[in-house]
Amino acid sequence: MPLILNGLPALHWAVSGAAIAAVTLLLLFIGNRRLGISSGFDDVCSLVLSSSYFRRGRTLEGRRWRLPFLAGLFLGGLLSAQLGGGWAPTWSAGMLDAALGLSPAAKLVWMFVGGLFVGFGTRLANGCTSGHGIFGLSNFEWPSLVATLCFMGSGLVTTQVLYRLVLR
Amino acid sequence: MPIFYIVAGTVFGFVLSRSGAADYDFIQGMFLFSNLQLYGIIGTAVVLTAPGLWWITRHGRSATGARIAFERKVLNRGTVIGGMLFGIGWSIAGMCPGPMLVNLGEGKLYALGALAGAFTGAALFGALYPRLQRPLGLPPLS
Repeated sequence: MPLILNGLPALHWAVSGAAIAAVTLLLLFIGNRRLGISSGFDDVCSLVLSSSYFRRGRTLEGRRWRLPFLAGLFLGGLLSAQLGGGWAPTWSAGMLDAALGLSPAAKLVWMFVGGLFVGFGTRLANGCTSGHGIFGLSNFEWPSLVATLCFMGSGLVTTQVLYRLVLR
Repeated sequence: MPIFYIVAGTVFGFVLSRSGAADYDFIQGMFLFSNLQLYGIIGTAVVLTAPGLWWITRHGRSATGARIAFERKVLNRGTVIGGMLFGIGWSIAGMCPGPMLVNLGEGKLYALGALAGAFTGAALFGALYPRLQRPLGLPPLS
């Protein structure tokens, strides 16, 4: 199955997983940092919001490394497109287009709703696929196993309902 | 030091982009069991990170000689409820947090909607924290 991005072939899963492990371990060994991306939502909010939740030490201290890391994620996507057939703005969303054919404005609303759940949910669960799924599971932390089972389970149910019942 | 994190993020983002982890169809395929790529990626990452993590924490020192220290996750009602809400969002948007930025970098403009939603959701959670803290057993702010 090709990627939506320029129809490129996907990297082998073992290579991808190994690269993710390497970055995770380097962040810890060189930077003494625990991989975690969704805390970055707090970091960005803390630039403009001043409630006590966003004034916490862990946010003000953590954003010093996380904000550059987040900028890197953006650059990684840009580089990947540029080196893989060229960068071009696109609205194409594969299966979603085939099932619904949303206009750009409607797609933004759809994604906003999804993002709202991701933003609120990851902050409430105190982690996402990276902090719970990769680091937490690798470190045998029980809360991370619980969180991972919860988000994999609810994602599975949501997609199954969407694509096998609602959008078919 | 920021340059190290920018480079690490760039490598991480490039891999997410090319592996399918930042691809709407691969995420739906994972939840439909029609494409097992993401299970292979996460499984490999955990299997390889675990022994490395064990060694680094046992060694106890970072490359610069600092004592290795990081926060461990705590379990509360938010872990379950938040995890389930996040999964719903991951399915709807086809993106977890990292891939939102990767998709935007790739030029997928709809990622702007997902990011706007995520920041709004986080802001909302921050505003509600004092009210959610006791009923959900969330830790005091630190």
